[in-house]
Amino acid sequence: MKTLANKKYSKEQLTDFYRTMVRIRTFEEKAAECFTKGMLAGNIHLSIGQEAAAAGAFAAIQPQDYFTSTHRGHGHAIARGMDANLCMAELFGKKTGYCQGKGGSMHIADMKKMNHLGANGIVGAGQGISAGSALASKILGDNAVTVGCFGDSSTNEGTFHENLNMAATWKLPLVWFIENNCYGVSTEIHRVTNTPDLAPRAAAYDVPFAVVDGTDPVAVYEAMTTAMDHARSGKGPYVVEAKVYRYQGHYCGDPAVYRPGEYMEKALENDAIEKLGKRLMDMGVAAEELEAIKKAADDEMNAAVQFAVDSEYPDPSEAVTDVYASDNERCVAR
Amino acid sequence: MSKKITVSKAIGEALHEEMVRDDKVFIMGEDMAVMGNVFAITRGFLEEFGPNRVIDTPISEEGFCGMAVGAAMRGMRPVVELMYDDFATVAADPLLNQAAKMRYMSGGQATVPMVLRAPMGAGRRNAGQHSQSLENFFCHFPGLKVIAPCSAKDAKGMLKTAIRDDDPVIVLEHKLLYAKKEEIPEEEYLIPLGLADVKREGKDLTIITWSREVNFSLEAAKTLAAEGIDVEVLDLRSLVPLDWDAIVKSVSKTHNVIIVSEEVKRGSYAGEISAQIAEELFDELDAPVERVCGLNIVPPFSPTLEDENFPHPDTIVKAVKRVLNK
Amino acid sequence: MAFEVLMPQLGLTMEEGTVSQWIKHEGDEVKTGDVILEITTDKLTNEVTSEHDGVLLKIVAQEGEDIPVKGLLAYIGQPGEAVGGASAPAAADSVASAAEAAAVAAVPAAAAVSVAAANGARIRISPLARKTAAKLGVDYSNIAGSGSFGRITQKDILAAAEAQKNAPAAAPAAAASAPAPKAGSLELMEGDTVIKLAGMRKVVSQRMWASHNEIPPVTQNIKVDVTALMKFRKMLLAETGKKYSVNDLVLKATAKCLRQHPEMLVSLDGDQIIQRAHVNLGMAVALDAGLIVPVIRDADKLSLDALSAAAKDLASRAKENKLGADEYKGSTFTVSNLGMFGIETFTPIINQPDAAILGVCAIHDELDLDGEGKLFKKQVMRLSCTLDHRLLDGSVVAKFEMDLRDLLEKPMSILL
Repeated sequence: MKTLANKKYSKEQLTDFYRTMVRIRTFEEKAAECFTKGMLAGNIHLSIGQEAAAAGAFAAIQPQDYFTSTHRGHGHAIARGMDANLCMAELFGKKTGYCQGKGGSMHIADMKKMNHLGANGIVGAGQGISAGSALASKILGDNAVTVGCFGDSSTNEGTFHENLNMAATWKLPLVWFIENNCYGVSTEIHRVTNTPDLAPRAAAYDVPFAVVDGTDPVAVYEAMTTAMDHARSGKGPYVVEAKVYRYQGHYCGDPAVYRPGEYMEKALENDAIEKLGKRLMDMGVAAEELEAIKKAADDEMNAAVQFAVDSEYPDPSEAVTDVYASDNERCVAR
Repeated sequence: MSKKITVSKAIGEALHEEMVRDDKVFIMGEDMAVMGNVFAITRGFLEEFGPNRVIDTPISEEGFCGMAVGAAMRGMRPVVELMYDDFATVAADPLLNQAAKMRYMSGGQATVPMVLRAPMGAGRRNAGQHSQSLENFFCHFPGLKVIAPCSAKDAKGMLKTAIRDDDPVIVLEHKLLYAKKEEIPEEEYLIPLGLADVKREGKDLTIITWSREVNFSLEAAKTLAAEGIDVEVLDLRSLVPLDWDAIVKSVSKTHNVIIVSEEVKRGSYAGEISAQIAEELFDELDAPVERVCGLNIVPPFSPTLEDENFPHPDTIVKAVKRVLNK
Repeated sequence: MAFEVLMPQLGLTMEEGTVSQWIKHEGDEVKTGDVILEITTDKLTNEVTSEHDGVLLKIVAQEGEDIPVKGLLAYIGQPGEAVGGASAPAAADSVASAAEAAAVAAVPAAAAVSVAAANGARIRISPLARKTAAKLGVDYSNIAGSGSFGRITQKDILAAAEAQKNAPAAAPAAAASAPAPKAGSLELMEGDTVIKLAGMRKVVSQRMWASHNEIPPVTQNIKVDVTALMKFRKMLLAETGKKYSVNDLVLKATAKCLRQHPEMLVSLDGDQIIQRAHVNLGMAVALDAGLIVPVIRDADKLSLDALSAAAKDLASRAKENKLGADEYKGSTFTVSNLGMFGIETFTPIINQPDAAILGVCAIHDELDLDGEGKLFKKQVMRLSCTLDHRLLDGSVVAKFEMDLRDLLEKPMSILL
């Protein structure tokens, strides 16, 4: 909102962003450590370098709102305020995980309490689901906005255009939040896309958009606040593109040899946590206070790992449960 | 009390009754609102229920199927129509990766109570991209329920149940059944999913079938009866869940089986049923189970070619005699 | 390359043979023409000779195994050559796959490969029929299936079971031979030994059982005064120096009499009767291993000399297991002579597909009264003729027997 753009942010507000960002990074680092030690099932996609985008965006998302996420979605869950223990347990494939070990890293969801309609392993799948959720809100008139979070590469999926077109036509309360880290696995976005930015594609459907610095949680928060208000007011969808960095390769352990050295140099120059930390200290926050936040995050995520390690794997008999909501046994039997 | 209406009218009645009953039910698809569907199934719905619940979509099958999944996850009960089941390939991801898997992958959190109505089947001279029977395609994916009723009564009763079901249900509607006029009960009724129906009792051989081939099988049964061969026609109606008890009962009685469908024979759901019978009812069989299906070809256009590609009553008669060595 | 030794086809009707004995053993050197093993067919023991020089590399069919015609018996090749078992699957496979191809060939002709369990091929039977057979205790090894490709279906088993029930001692209607009694059902007593029913004994067993159960038999005995015949035999010896046996004379007389009684030369084939054109006399020959019936073809056209020579030749070769497979096929009437064993009368079992069989009994002295009431001694012999009452009636056969008796009592007319 216009008023917010000029607002001077309090130390507390910025500290909240900082805390969220540190918690996300710590979660990712602990997860990476577990992965490297072979403790995790499958593999994981880390959002280190994208923390500010998640922190800023989710500060603008209200409790009644819904969202979808992606394979690189741990940060969204943490930023939404979901339980790190349950997230970590899901990465481990444990019964105590958000999806009882049936989804894993790419599919963390909390549909009932957190309105998290699920991270998704299919690039672009969240576009249709988020638009459908927005359609439901429109029909129900529940004043909720649905945020579809996805990455740069999914803007090249047909569903981006199909669903944005429909959402715009039907004025659905939908916000799409693109975190552009410039890479689809190994492919640099501009090698396969003709425009410098991605959000301006929204203009083709007469949908407003914004492109912001994704390493600045305040900029993201402001853009997303504008977007949410727009969508909630019945004017239809809004697209926000946040420019971020993907510190790791595509998946944890991918050495990213396809990426030029300058990418990471620039990323580290712009490290969101470093920048915000400096800003906070400039505002008079003590280094010890920031250290304490890091320490708390470290404790929290260590505890999350311990929780995951201590948790049970699902009983093998669970393999055949919850395929169907009704008549499951018969449907699974043959 | 009963009345005689077309299958398409019966489907329309089911939609109408459920939309009146539950305001979470809405319909979307190509040409569903203003036109009221190419088979006139939803004519008048737009006026009655408004544009929020009767939605004309653009030709964006993947897009609107994805939206149906999202809306269903939010507790809505979308009834989506694909103009032809052939277009399911365009909408494969939302149907097969999202709707089908969402409940399982979320550890039972999600329900996706959507219905996909998919007009299907051969015989309308529509060539390879508008004539397929994709039972096997849908039945392959755990998480989907798949039904294929053949009569007005079944179409209505089962669609109503499908709309109320908390799982995604694919309703395969044979296009050449829409115009069939049949008796249905006057009063409201439901037919459960996963309940096969013996459309004709017999003792010599069981024809397991569904959709339009039920009618062809009944015709074949009449011809065979004149020759002293007494076949049972078991209309599965529901492919997932499968009424295995009904199959066991019938096969244990007749000991001879053919499975009739319009599918491409290779990899067909007919073959899947055949395999299950071979696995579990081996000792009940007096002859190998025969699949009577389409050929392993692209559905042809020209009438003389297309007619080669799905079982007709005489094809079924021949198959029955072959199995019984008569 | 190693050569395959295959089960030979000895005679048109041979379907399988049993490996009775390996003369050569694995590693033995063999030359072309060397006998390498003996096989038993349904009637005979034969030798299989090598068609190659080399070494018997591997014996595939063990003694006692029933192998279908052209089935693999062994490999002959050069020393050290790898064949057989895992190291020579190609040859073994080719046999197996051919059999398989025949079994699964989806052509109408496949009906021909249907049920012949006796030849070692797998029996086509539906799972349900097999289950039903096990439940009802029906042996299906010889049931002709009514299903597609000759498959035995439940209906066939139920019919067989029904037939068994209605005629507990008789075969299932469709059965061509005795059901193999379930092995191991008899309690063994101390000192008992178990011998596998095989080879000739098995065939005799099956054929006798089938004949006995299918044919409603009547045996009619007639007494023949052979005093003149015996004198005539002596006279022939004196005149020609040739010693003819009573059997020779009986055969000659029978052949001649049969020519005058073509009604005796019939066979039943389903719902039709075959009138036989030839007098092909089967001649039962007892062997250590069982019984064989070599056939004297067109016996009515042979002189006594020729007939006698043929009978002697066949009998001696039968005893040496040297009959050709076609030499014991095609009889139209059979003579079984137990006279030399002192048997006075018996009830011979018809050698199918003949319609009757003549049992020849012992000759002995008998006292009789002449026209003046004076005692005199004569030599008599009984003939026991069993007829298939489906085809022949007692009076018809009685006339034949009376004519035969008259011939034998006026022996000169045998030769005229």
